[in-house]
Amino acid sequence: MARLSNMQKLKEEVEAFLFKEAELLDELRYREWLELLTPDVQYLAPVRITREREKGPGLVEGMAHFDEDYTSLEMRILRLETEFAWAEDPPSRTRRHVSNIRVGEPKEDEIPVRSNLLLFRSRGDSPQYDLISCERHDILRRVNGGLKLAKRVIVLDHSSLPTHNLAVFL
Amino acid sequence: MVKTGKDRALWLVEETLRSLEEGWVPARIFNDPDIFQLEQEKLFTRAWVFLAHASEVPKPGDYVVRYIGQNSLIVVRDEKGDIRVHLNACRHRGMQVCRAEAGNASHFRCPYHGWTYRNDGTLVGVPAGTEAYGDRLRKEEWGLIPIRVETYDDFIFGNLSEEAPGLLEFLGGFEWYLDLLNRRSMAGMEVVGAPQRWIVDADWKLGADNFVGDAYHTLMTHRSAVELGLAPRDAKFAMYGESVHIPGKGHGIGLISDPPGIPLPPFWNYPEEIIRSLQEAYPSKEHIEVARRTKFVHGTLFPNMSHLNVMIAKDHKSPPTPMYTVRLWHPLGPGRMEVWSWFLVEKDAPEDFKKLSYLTYERTFGPAGVFEQDDTENWRSITKVAGGTYSLRNRLNYEMGLGHLQPDPAWPGPGVAYPLDYNEANQRNFLRTWAEYLLS
Repeated sequence: MARLSNMQKLKEEVEAFLFKEAELLDELRYREWLELLTPDVQYLAPVRITREREKGPGLVEGMAHFDEDYTSLEMRILRLETEFAWAEDPPSRTRRHVSNIRVGEPKEDEIPVRSNLLLFRSRGDSPQYDLISCERHDILRRVNGGLKLAKRVIVLDHSSLPTHNLAVFL
Repeated sequence: MVKTGKDRALWLVEETLRSLEEGWVPARIFNDPDIFQLEQEKLFTRAWVFLAHASEVPKPGDYVVRYIGQNSLIVVRDEKGDIRVHLNACRHRGMQVCRAEAGNASHFRCPYHGWTYRNDGTLVGVPAGTEAYGDRLRKEEWGLIPIRVETYDDFIFGNLSEEAPGLLEFLGGFEWYLDLLNRRSMAGMEVVGAPQRWIVDADWKLGADNFVGDAYHTLMTHRSAVELGLAPRDAKFAMYGESVHIPGKGHGIGLISDPPGIPLPPFWNYPEEIIRSLQEAYPSKEHIEVARRTKFVHGTLFPNMSHLNVMIAKDHKSPPTPMYTVRLWHPLGPGRMEVWSWFLVEKDAPEDFKKLSYLTYERTFGPAGVFEQDDTENWRSITKVAGGTYSLRNRLNYEMGLGHLQPDPAWPGPGVAYPLDYNEANQRNFLRTWAEYLLS
């Protein structure tokens, strides 16, 4: 019973972490988002193609839309802070719908977490919008009592991305 | 008289051909349903279109599905090792016989009625053939439809026309520049992984126009990368080079050297293994000399394949690394394209260099690339405005370099070269060729 309640507590903590993360990104608070990442963070979104069922999910080895470390994510945020980041200035209106959160068995200070993400993105005065769907395979790490994102593998539900760029984080 | 439909499209193309001489084009050519249809019928039925790199289909049976216009094509290496291109349509009811994007298959079987073809296209199986057709069906006449294919080095091109001139004539000298990009090693180039694909609400010609000659946009579009030090810290860095085009063929390329006061390492900063190997592998001394002073290359092989081979940094704390990408601006509809982007590297490059070059590519180009993000944003915006009726009268300025630049007689490669990369001669030549295809 005590164990169940610990797991329940952890699940609530993980949920709160992912919801806060989504809030920071939707509100363009990139600096604060960066603070949620460990210095050795890995952030990966493999290219995905259509394969026959027996060949598995079609994740392409060696080519990714995102293959980032802390420095490159910092570079992306420094760029967004210049006056010349046209792709997101004016910014898109985004809403990250995070759901189906599944917390795995923690190993030492690391917690495997899966979640689904549906990103709604609207730009300019067009009523059209982009929807990007993916599952995220995260490793959260306990640091100084709190949680940080140490690894994220983004499994996209797209072969050809239905958006003109990935100037947004998933 | 108010022109409509195809008549108006033809008038627009004629207007473009005329106005290019004065240095402008009507904006409407970048978003018009009838222009799109004309391109599909007159250009993409007759031009050589890049399909795949041989390293994507290394073994017998390996295939990828690619497109010319709206036609789905199978690019496959048959059991003898020959590369073939088939229309991806069963000869019975036209169903796609191949519905994965890539794989390996000795045969393609249609899911509709089970007609089965060998990977060389031969029809070998028709279920209940005797009962259903008696002895009437001549299987040898109903193989998958072969599409004309030619390769240059390992680059595979398809052409829907049987009458169009061959690939070398189509390149018309541009192969000299393909050699500069692809013959740095005897081992050749390889595609890493698979191409990235994404949808952009923009006309395909804007991608081709940008890569064929637009060094000028780097100073404002890519200013953020200059500020972060991913590119040389001189907003005009892309001006200091040569712009070259092949008249009448549409192809063009820009080759950029060091900006004044910012000396850059020779040979794009390739690792010494590649620099040694290119001196043996290049077909001429001139290639070596041009490569020595080249740091940034952009180009378009008419109509919709572009090249980029540049030394840039993967982040604000790293030194510049060379990376090489080819891409297709694949038209999907009026004002709408799919971008296909491949990353390539020398097969025999050191593994740590391959990794570094790949990271440099992924962070700067492709859908998440911090350079390319801003390009697609701009092209969408242009396309949106070009869809309005005023775009019929809206003259876009194409005057750069007209009159004040003279060709460079010392340039060692084919084509007409100008000693400055802030020049729109390449774009004018691209659109002139485009117009000639649509009118002929």
